[in-house]
Amino acid sequence: METREKILHAFREQVARHSELPASVIALCEPLGMSERDFYNEFGSLEALESAFWEELVAKTIAAVESGAEWEGFDARQRMLAFLYAFLEKSLDVRTVLLFRFRHLSPVASPEWLQGMERRFKGWAFSLIGKGVSNGEIAGRGRLVVLYPSALYLLLRSVIDFHVKDTSPRFERSDAYVEKSVNLAFDLMRTQAIDSAFDLLRFLAPRACGKS
Amino acid sequence: MGEQTTLRSSRLGRMAAFAGTGARVGMNYLKHYGQRCVGAPQDENLLHERNAEAVYKTFSELKGGPLKLAQMLSIDQGLLPDAYASRFAQAQYSAPPLSYPLVARTFRREMGKSPLEIFDSFSETAAHGASIGQVHKAVKDGRAFAVKVQYPGVAESLRSDLRIVKPVALQILGVRESDVEDYFREVEERLLEETDYKLELQRSQELSAASSHLDGVSFPRYFPELSCRRILTMEWIEGLALDRFAKGSANSEERDRIGQALWDFYEFQIHTLRFFHADPHPGNFLVRDGGLVVLDFGCAKKIEPEFYRRHFRFLDERLLDDRDALLSSLEDLSILLPGDTDAYRSRIAGLCAESIEILARPFRKGFFDFSNPTFMRSIYDLGERNRRDENLRGFRGRRGSPDSIYVNRAYFGLYSLLHTIGARVHTRLPDWLRES
Repeated sequence: METREKILHAFREQVARHSELPASVIALCEPLGMSERDFYNEFGSLEALESAFWEELVAKTIAAVESGAEWEGFDARQRMLAFLYAFLEKSLDVRTVLLFRFRHLSPVASPEWLQGMERRFKGWAFSLIGKGVSNGEIAGRGRLVVLYPSALYLLLRSVIDFHVKDTSPRFERSDAYVEKSVNLAFDLMRTQAIDSAFDLLRFLAPRACGKS
Repeated sequence: MGEQTTLRSSRLGRMAAFAGTGARVGMNYLKHYGQRCVGAPQDENLLHERNAEAVYKTFSELKGGPLKLAQMLSIDQGLLPDAYASRFAQAQYSAPPLSYPLVARTFRREMGKSPLEIFDSFSETAAHGASIGQVHKAVKDGRAFAVKVQYPGVAESLRSDLRIVKPVALQILGVRESDVEDYFREVEERLLEETDYKLELQRSQELSAASSHLDGVSFPRYFPELSCRRILTMEWIEGLALDRFAKGSANSEERDRIGQALWDFYEFQIHTLRFFHADPHPGNFLVRDGGLVVLDFGCAKKIEPEFYRRHFRFLDERLLDDRDALLSSLEDLSILLPGDTDAYRSRIAGLCAESIEILARPFRKGFFDFSNPTFMRSIYDLGERNRRDENLRGFRGRRGSPDSIYVNRAYFGLYSLLHTIGARVHTRLPDWLRES
């Protein structure tokens, strides 16, 4: 295992087992037989480490769905659905960490440790939106379209929020939530409604939107 | 069929949807009576139809439990006006489809593999929908399969859906909850069974094996290794849906043959197996090469020998002349209770005699022409008259056995299917009724 992988793994174990973040770089590295120098070669800080952890979850999800046999035939709506289902599936491996970090986090909060995930997802969503606009699924309205990735990011966060609170068998309610909310989001993006919704959201939660 | 555009994600959303319908129904009544006041002629049926449209729209948007409930209410002519009943009866064709990624997700979760890892090809859009699932066409090794996939969460939310929706639905439809309590319990039980595809698989295999000797009736093959709780795989059968066949250009000989197959199939199940396919919806039958193919054993009902005897005692015409025997048969089925007044008893006995006379007609001569509209008309009229009779309000539910719901459903469904087909069939009373 590479140094980077080892550190990420140790981070996950630490949080999952003890329900608390590593106290310091030393505390995380010593049991691994690593020096601080080894750590700082990979990550600039503990926050950067956690940011990379969540970013990787999204990156792996993207890689998994894009390699699926049906991917090329999917339109934007189906791609978003496939991403979210794959994300839910992947997140089961880190559910304890997910619960620890997201259960009490507002879906519109944008903490430092989520920057990597947000950036990575929005980059992916941007090309998704491009596809949707080019095939007519999404109304292209000039500069407003650049806000759509933020809308999809909010959707992802709301799915996580729903999922960490879901107690239904096999999380079937989360599936239903994904299906319904993605349909709503894409229906809205076909019309003017989302512009108004954004106006409202930007007013209510200036930290969450329009930051990228 | 477009993918679903209106969403009801929360319970509150569902309630809101119902409130919307209530308002729409109310508006239609206002329009109706408004026009009546100013003297414009108005057809009561037109009003019912408009309301049925509004109510139906709400139910079909909600899918799952509420849609099933609406379908169930439509079976019993006594509970709903005609317009509602016929509108809901079509519901099976209209539920909006699920996205392919969710279907793939369900596959991965239930079978551990995606559809394309199991099959060589798998249709992304559903071939047709059902109230709690949808059917996809798949191919493997040159062989075609029909794969039924259940909506996720349906099984879990059905019960709570019904509980929330029931009082509101009853109010919209104008029936009282206490009148239909037993009815709902029985229906709920069957509905919950329908969400278990493992059980359905087992029944399908059992019932089709037991009925395989019947002439002109066949069944798809089922594949247990490709099925589980939420996925049911059977052989894909190209055929004509029964209602299309009925509307089509088939000659009377072909119609009679299909009708006879249908009749024999139900007679064998009910009178010999006492375990039957209780969903005689035209979407559940196909016509292929002049024969009948029976699909979907999701709703099946078993009856006990004791109930069977009591219930079908009413096929015996001699009851019509023997008043004491009629009364005691009604008591056996607890349609009449010991505390009833004489006036009430004779009234119910009269009504029952009338029902027996009509419903047992197909059995009487050993041959019956279902294409004759007066027969169906008289069944409808009877139902409508009972529905309007103020004295009979609250009669159902507190009396009789809830077991009779699905027996009646099967027979009523059978009669209307045969009428739609326009078939003439040979009939026969069960042996035990002919000898005694």
